[in-house]
Amino acid sequence: MFHWLEKNPFFFAVGVFVVIAYAGVIEILPNFAEKARPVKGLKPYTVLQLAGKEVYKKDNCIACHSQLIRPFKSETDRYGHYSLSGEYAYDRPFLWGSKRTGPDLHRVGNYRTPDWHANHMWNPKSVVPDSIMPAYKHQFTNVADLETAYAEAVTVKKVFGTPYGPDIAPGKAAYEKELKTKILPEALKIAKRMKRDDLVKMVEAGKVPEVVALVAYLEKLK
Amino acid sequence: MQSNATLEYDYSIVKLYMWTAVIFGIVGMTIGVLIASQLAFPSLNYLLGEYGTFSRLRPLHTNVVIYGFTVSGIFATFYYVGQRVLKVSLAESKFLQALTKLQFGLYLIAATGLVISLGMGITASKEYAQMEWPLDALIVVIWVIWGIVMFGLIGLRREKTLYISMWYYIATFLGVAMLYLFNNAEVPTIFFSGGLGAWYHSVSMYAGTNDALVQWWWGHNAVAFVFTVPIIAMIYYYLPKESGQAVYSYKLSLLSFWGLMFIYLWAGSHHLLWSTVPDWMQTMGSVFSVVLILPSWGSAINMLLTMKGEWNQLTENPLIKFMVLASTFYMLSTLEGPIQAVKSVNAIAHFTDWIPGHVHDGVLGWVAFMIMSGIMHMSPRVFKREIYSKSLLESQFWIQTIGVVLYFTSMWIAGITQGMMWRAVDEYGNLVYSFIDTVSVLHPYYTIRAVGGLLYLTGVFMFAFNVFKTATAGRRLEQEPRYRSPMA
Amino acid sequence: MTSVEIEQLRVYLYVIGAGVVTVIFYYYIIYLYRSEKKGEKDYEKYGKLALDDELDSEILEKNPKLENDKKE
Repeated sequence: MFHWLEKNPFFFAVGVFVVIAYAGVIEILPNFAEKARPVKGLKPYTVLQLAGKEVYKKDNCIACHSQLIRPFKSETDRYGHYSLSGEYAYDRPFLWGSKRTGPDLHRVGNYRTPDWHANHMWNPKSVVPDSIMPAYKHQFTNVADLETAYAEAVTVKKVFGTPYGPDIAPGKAAYEKELKTKILPEALKIAKRMKRDDLVKMVEAGKVPEVVALVAYLEKLK
Repeated sequence: MQSNATLEYDYSIVKLYMWTAVIFGIVGMTIGVLIASQLAFPSLNYLLGEYGTFSRLRPLHTNVVIYGFTVSGIFATFYYVGQRVLKVSLAESKFLQALTKLQFGLYLIAATGLVISLGMGITASKEYAQMEWPLDALIVVIWVIWGIVMFGLIGLRREKTLYISMWYYIATFLGVAMLYLFNNAEVPTIFFSGGLGAWYHSVSMYAGTNDALVQWWWGHNAVAFVFTVPIIAMIYYYLPKESGQAVYSYKLSLLSFWGLMFIYLWAGSHHLLWSTVPDWMQTMGSVFSVVLILPSWGSAINMLLTMKGEWNQLTENPLIKFMVLASTFYMLSTLEGPIQAVKSVNAIAHFTDWIPGHVHDGVLGWVAFMIMSGIMHMSPRVFKREIYSKSLLESQFWIQTIGVVLYFTSMWIAGITQGMMWRAVDEYGNLVYSFIDTVSVLHPYYTIRAVGGLLYLTGVFMFAFNVFKTATAGRRLEQEPRYRSPMA
Repeated sequence: MTSVEIEQLRVYLYVIGAGVVTVIFYYYIIYLYRSEKKGEKDYEKYGKLALDDELDSEILEKNPKLENDKKE
């Protein structure tokens, strides 16, 4: 039997595939049977927060910051309650990270304020003198891509049933309406709390700087 | 090719991929040295404005060395080794030959798209799977073409038995195909939102913990099927061929193959120890990681024993040096990995610099050494010229070896130091160090690591120069060398 | 199925799968060495495939499908 397998490339390949796929079938597939269950009271990200998550991805904060507090006293003392599976139910993709060159951010919204973030993103050394994090000044002038974030909200609502209200609907008109009634007012609040006039002015002009969206996202991490 | 003369192996596609491996090696590792230096000297973050920060460059580094350097190396060696062990020339089938050229063209497009999109920050954000869906689709096409050529060649083969290297290449093809498709399952947003937003944007099919599970099933096994399996394919061919010694035990190589195939896939969940994935799965990840030592060492020891009675070649032939050290580093990192996968060790090691340290003794010492020695072995055969300089190769070996050692020792110390400082408490149970203390303390190690990386990069430049000179200025060879590669 | 049942099924499948594969694997080891001892097979000769790999090298075992149309 074995010798036959070794000389029949097709069945050999099938054999290899079965062997390597077996682990996947058992480890991965059953998890799709049950949907990720959100913890009680977990709300999906607002469009502004989704745009902030895109900034988080774009400038790749995940390279240095984790979002996973492990169940050790040393970690819960430092960052807060350990992470629960249900807290990530709306995270597509997950952003746990694999390296902590900087501290964990899973509950950063609990202990940092928008104006702290504003100072920190502009010049990290101004708040943490020994920081090796680079400044992200371009986030103060780049405009966040709200439309793509909105498209993402529509997609996850339609495809995965993420509980967004009826306002989140396909098409330009629905987006414009959401922008005026929800996204910009939310951004303005954040911009004001960041205590920088240039950011407030930009938002008032209808353009949300990347850093405002990012801080909206970081504020959600609690 | 030749109409009347005897048939020859067709190396045109091999040469193309050899060059892309050399170029992407230089690009990827240069970025690597830059980002290593940025951690030691943060002011280096501002060389390229928005595009030059550590965070933006890090995925560029990983993706260029994986999809550029390593995958080029895999294709180059496969098209060389595959033809030879099957005893069939690509020139015998115009169809397969044309497919390889098409594949190379698409590969260049994908590589360019990869560099541009990641540079701009367009990313799916899952590690080593950052490419967005249009590029993912292209990668799938490239991979399928590879499969067609592979099984096409196998169909035409003269030798009935598939040599062990071919087993490993087949496994590479299947493994990556399966993992890549599953992990990159994503929903393009433009199709569901009435045409809103960026056309290339997508969301992952999986959420939260599920996504993490799939991602590390991929993350771990991509290492298996890109950094281990095809590299073993290479060493099973190049070491015996270069030394003129048949594999010590062919049976052991078969057993190691099946062992590796089965066990490797189970070990993926060790990336998620202490996280929110089910407990029994974490434990299984740990256990299988330890069992994985057996097949890994089976291959490595088999390679070392192949040199039995021929150890004099180690001093005489720098290529043998590279390959023997590569299998030694393979043993080191396959021992280190399971140690890190033990839950209590992982509690300290996870999230620290020990992890990049572990990755790099594998990739620098094992993967890159093997690919470079493979390319060096092929050079005299595909260019029909003698290797340009033996002494250059010798010095490259020593410079790079020192580089690797500096790299992983500094990262071991850095990782364990930081891991211990994070958890240090005083007599009242309060944390002793603020986070920034644990960063500042790493500065010397980051500096040493950057120096190690720079040494390694220097070696890569020496290697590139050597290949280039071999192709253009090496002494012409009348006859293809049988075993040992001739070098001046 | 409830998630508990799935979880159980998965543990069963895992144990059975690992068991079956282990048995096959050990049988394979025995098979390899026994067939060589009996003189039925010589696995070690395949090691030469890497060494004699010219197009005109002697072929260890011809691919039967090609015997007619491809001759050296």
